[in-house]
Amino acid sequence: MGYDPQNPMVDRITDIGPPHYEQFLPPVIKKNFGKWLYHEIAQPGVLMHKAESGDECWTVRVGAARLISIEHIREICEIADKHCNGCVRWTTRNNVEFMVDSKAKVQPLLDDLKSRGNKFPVGATGASVSNIVHTQGWVHCHTPATDASGVVKAVMDELFDYFTSMTLPAQVRVALACCLNMCGAVHASDIAILGIHRKPPMIDHDAISGLCELPLAIAACPLGAVKPAKETNSKGEEVKSVKVTAERCMFCGNCYTMCPAMPLADPEGDGIAILVGGKVSNSRSMPKFSKLVIPFLPNNTPRWPETVAAVKNILETYAKHARKYERLGEWAERIGWEKFFELTGIPFTIKSVDDYRLAYDTWRTSTQFKFTSHIK
Amino acid sequence: MATIEHAGHSYDVDEDGFLTKGMEEWNEGWVEYVKSLEGISDLTDEHWKVINALQDYYKKNGIAPMVRILSKTTGYPLKRIYELFPSGPGKGACKMAGLPKPTGCV
Repeated sequence: MGYDPQNPMVDRITDIGPPHYEQFLPPVIKKNFGKWLYHEIAQPGVLMHKAESGDECWTVRVGAARLISIEHIREICEIADKHCNGCVRWTTRNNVEFMVDSKAKVQPLLDDLKSRGNKFPVGATGASVSNIVHTQGWVHCHTPATDASGVVKAVMDELFDYFTSMTLPAQVRVALACCLNMCGAVHASDIAILGIHRKPPMIDHDAISGLCELPLAIAACPLGAVKPAKETNSKGEEVKSVKVTAERCMFCGNCYTMCPAMPLADPEGDGIAILVGGKVSNSRSMPKFSKLVIPFLPNNTPRWPETVAAVKNILETYAKHARKYERLGEWAERIGWEKFFELTGIPFTIKSVDDYRLAYDTWRTSTQFKFTSHIK
Repeated sequence: MATIEHAGHSYDVDEDGFLTKGMEEWNEGWVEYVKSLEGISDLTDEHWKVINALQDYYKKNGIAPMVRILSKTTGYPLKRIYELFPSGPGKGACKMAGLPKPTGCV
């Protein structure tokens, strides 16, 4: 029976979890599960895994916009039906992978993908710029300081050649989050694009006492800038509200997350910060957090030219100077951050100097430094 | 913002059906009204125990209690709270009690 709103608990199925992945494995993967010997990248976007049995699994990785329609998913299913026995998978960076069990089946699949225009660009393997892990932006969220899909499209258009080739010193992970909730991978990516505010919240004294749990808004502030206060609403009545000390506010927006009566989005104030040098793998060096290098770029819709230029400049300077296998953060730490700023031509600002609680450890307690163009 | 008329009273609510003026506008008629939306057939003393616990805590502390505190004060484990309020302690019980809509990454 269909859902009955009068008896919502009747025939209700719950706690069944996701279906077991084994149901959806291609036969060659099911057969050789846990018995792979080695793999090769045959060409950008095409991988070959060799099993102990001698079987081969060829994988073709294609880019996807992450935000996609059911029509697009159906087209992916159609390709999977035609070439891959109906099997397909998505990667952790939201690329799509088609798998076939022999080399002979790869070229027809590539030709088919190519015949569909730019819908399925093949690439994202090896030392490339793979897909940008990103968030909701103005498509669906209520706390963003920038858009996600729009910026990602603009940046990937410019970096497209790096998606379809493997010419970089190491893989470069680009991520975007539209506010500093940092949903996704912004805090640990080679290049991170982050939406930021630059103005304190506006407080709606008319609505705040009915809408908000005030102690939550107060406790949400990392700097103790929100305090309880008696304020006057538009009718002249005294209401329980909060006061924000503007000099202490760093515009994180946490109070708005907890309290809908404290909005802070602002078209001129909001924009993008660029962070670089993060990684999550343990290869060679330990995982790193990304660090702020550009404090603000405007939200210039629909192509964000300043942001695109900044990302491209950082990527190409890194590609020119770094050693093989060296991730962006490893390179910047080897040459010294003052050299990173000099080579990229990014002006160093006070915004990059940490001033939050554990800041001291990030300052230089050494005489070791290089003279650069920043020292006049 | 919308206004709901029920049994001679009017209530200001948001798009999710929470009272925008909070407990200022709350009365027993509101509980009767929400009951019909939440799939609850009979309001028992157990329901009222949860509603009262939420309201007392909110009046005293200005926030809704954490789920663990609600369980501890009422003596009902989370499973029982879900049996009483199928939408859960936030969407179900807090809405009925006239508390503000839960916020954050929910």
